[in-house]
Amino acid sequence: MISALFFLQFQSIKNRLLMRVRRLRQPKYLFGAIVGGAYFYFYFGRHFFGGRPAIDSGIGLVPEQFPFEMLAAFALFVIVISAWIFPHRRAALTFTEAEVAFLFPAPISRKMLIHFKLLKTQTGIFFTVLFLTLITRRFGSGGHAATHAAGWWIILSTLNLHFIGSSFARTLLLDRGISNWLRRAVVLILIAVIVTLVIVWGKNSLPPFNLAEISDLPDLARYAEKLFQSGPFPYLLFLFQLILKPFLASDLKAFFFALGPAMLVLALHYVWVIRSNVAFEEASVEASQKLAERVATVRSGSWQNATKPKKKSRAPFRLQPLGPRPIALLWKNLISAGQMFTLRFWIIMIWPAIFGAFIFGNTQKNSGIVVALGFFALILLFMSVIIGPQLLRQDFRQDLASIELLKLYPMSGWKIVLGEILAPIVMLTATQWLLLILALGFGAGIPSGKEVDGFIRVGMAFGIAVLLPMLNFILLLIPNAAVLLFPSWFQTGKDAPQGIEATGQRLIFMIGQVLILALAMLPAAGFFALVIFLCNFFMNPMSAIPIASVVASIVLAAEGSAGLFLLGKAFARFDLSAEMTN
Amino acid sequence: MEILPPVLAPTSLAAIEVEGLTKLYDSFTAVSELSFAVRPGEVMGLVGPNGAGKTTTLRCISGIIPPTRGSVKICGNDLAKNPVEAKQQIAFFSDEPRLFDYLTVQQHLEFTARIYQVANAHEIGQQLLEELEIADKADKLPGELSRGMKQKLAIACGFLHSPKVIFLDEPLTGLDPIGIRRMKNSILKRARDGAAIILSSHLLHLLEEVCSHVLILKTGQKIFDGTLNEVRQKFSQQSADASLEEVFLRATEETKA
Repeated sequence: MISALFFLQFQSIKNRLLMRVRRLRQPKYLFGAIVGGAYFYFYFGRHFFGGRPAIDSGIGLVPEQFPFEMLAAFALFVIVISAWIFPHRRAALTFTEAEVAFLFPAPISRKMLIHFKLLKTQTGIFFTVLFLTLITRRFGSGGHAATHAAGWWIILSTLNLHFIGSSFARTLLLDRGISNWLRRAVVLILIAVIVTLVIVWGKNSLPPFNLAEISDLPDLARYAEKLFQSGPFPYLLFLFQLILKPFLASDLKAFFFALGPAMLVLALHYVWVIRSNVAFEEASVEASQKLAERVATVRSGSWQNATKPKKKSRAPFRLQPLGPRPIALLWKNLISAGQMFTLRFWIIMIWPAIFGAFIFGNTQKNSGIVVALGFFALILLFMSVIIGPQLLRQDFRQDLASIELLKLYPMSGWKIVLGEILAPIVMLTATQWLLLILALGFGAGIPSGKEVDGFIRVGMAFGIAVLLPMLNFILLLIPNAAVLLFPSWFQTGKDAPQGIEATGQRLIFMIGQVLILALAMLPAAGFFALVIFLCNFFMNPMSAIPIASVVASIVLAAEGSAGLFLLGKAFARFDLSAEMTN
Repeated sequence: MEILPPVLAPTSLAAIEVEGLTKLYDSFTAVSELSFAVRPGEVMGLVGPNGAGKTTTLRCISGIIPPTRGSVKICGNDLAKNPVEAKQQIAFFSDEPRLFDYLTVQQHLEFTARIYQVANAHEIGQQLLEELEIADKADKLPGELSRGMKQKLAIACGFLHSPKVIFLDEPLTGLDPIGIRRMKNSILKRARDGAAIILSSHLLHLLEEVCSHVLILKTGQKIFDGTLNEVRQKFSQQSADASLEEVFLRATEETKA
């Protein structure tokens, strides 16, 4: 029977790899793979294959006696303990819906299913090991690449088995009437006992921890060494050290010495998991359905919502049946954003914030906190320009899976595009205007100089406020254009490009986005500078900022409108089925 | 709740006119040189084996995907030249109800009303919800509905703007027997009210009950277009009592490449 399960796993991996290789016939994947491959080579590969020295990670600055091994063992201890405290569900080995449909009704024993699951997780562990080995080689941590890889495999496999075993044990406890809370209480009491032991021992055996006496890193390292390498810690962390030792081995001899005990711990975990006779099937079916729902949500483009349960959202405003159609798409996408962008939320939350900032700014003049808050608001504002369009995806990126529905609507292409991108523009602009007003409010606390008096500040704020919506318009057109022009790059779920080619595609996309933005900004910046130059002859150039901003925003609006028109045409021609066929 | 007889009395010129429709995916021909017409009041059954091009045809003539060649006219409006006017007349129902998982039932109707500019949407929507027996679910999200109810919601949204052209792709999938009966009656009622309907289904008894004529497709090509009696005459091999299933099997067998 295990051979059939091996066959399933082997063929799945083989077919997936073949599909990815075949996909390289398409230029978009080939270029992605080349760029991604180059990135991986220059970032990791040179240090792995090329014999290039590892990048200094700063570890060398830390004194030799620093107990890295004990600290890593302690981290493993925390991870393992957390598996006994936080989870609350019954054991559920996650299978895909297809696996549930084929394997659960098949004459396969529970043990065999567990073996299949373990086999499957090994694929994931293999790639994680590869990645972690590349990273640890790049940042240089001594040892041999092969022993590093084997060390990572032992650590990850043992942890994986422990998580499965602990989930089985938790289920057995639940079946015997021991509730989650009782189990947690017992684990926490045990931790409290250990902490008490350490504190009592430390008080009796170690000099009291006094920051004044620790002047440099070697002092801290010596104290940490004493703490971890004497008293109860070595006993407590002994098993965890065994798991870590193969990874930390400095040469092959040390590795083989460490391998036996580590493999024994791994084998004991394996026996524990296989011998646990726990009914996980029902919970697994439920988990597989949830997994399928999550995949469907991710496929619909809403990866942020993949782990969130769907909740009803209040409509942002009342949608009348007659009126401009793009507003319907704005309304729909604002609903998908949740409660953050309803009129009610803004009325409740925004006015107190604005009044608070102005009152605080005016009453606490010259205060450092007010200046810091003002700058913080401004930094957030500028960050929002860059990050906002990536975070707010209530547009085609969310609706890619529903694009066939959108194509049925009696609307011209550009109106659909406008309606789709309106929601993130509105959300982003509203947030940015709020930050701008807060900065202005807190800015009242900064004393006015000759150059930047209150009037000019308001003028500059007005200028920024006028520019922001148009800038957001352009910034949001770019990723939406990418969705319509290269939809397969935005595919998510199991059909999505993964690995090197996906990394390459993302890199190409990021570079392209920056270039297009720079190109779009050039004419607007040119007109802005021209207006300031012309105004210079008859007024203070600082006072001309609002006028220049209005002109620049008109230029941006014109560029955006042209982009919108072209994108509308692209939407009318859009054929997702052709992409899928490819 | 008795099933009404099929509609056989079209009332005027074609509401759906398809001429030389072709859809290519690289070198693969999904639909080839397809021409047909459906008049108001007619229900045309689109049949054919898997991969015959039925869904591609429906998606092309509803404006979801652009055809490679050919023209589609909906109530006289060219779908390529006047897509807004053409799509205003269309309702498309796929086998899998396509809904927005963050809009409630009521919000779906409000949204659809604005998209199709239905002035009296509230009354029509309420009436549809009651007819489809989901009025009590107005506040629910699609995730809280059963598959059949989702299908009903999609139907309510599709009928809200009183479409003159209706495309149904496997419309009975997921419906219970009562739902199936209602759907059949609903199709016939819409046809009687003057809608031109194209129905794609593998359920031949459904086609027999509701269709005025059928179009048989195979590997993207039309192999027959006519009334049920005509298709029987052509493919029954003089056997008067041949079932539509036998006729369909013969039709697709005889034209084997």
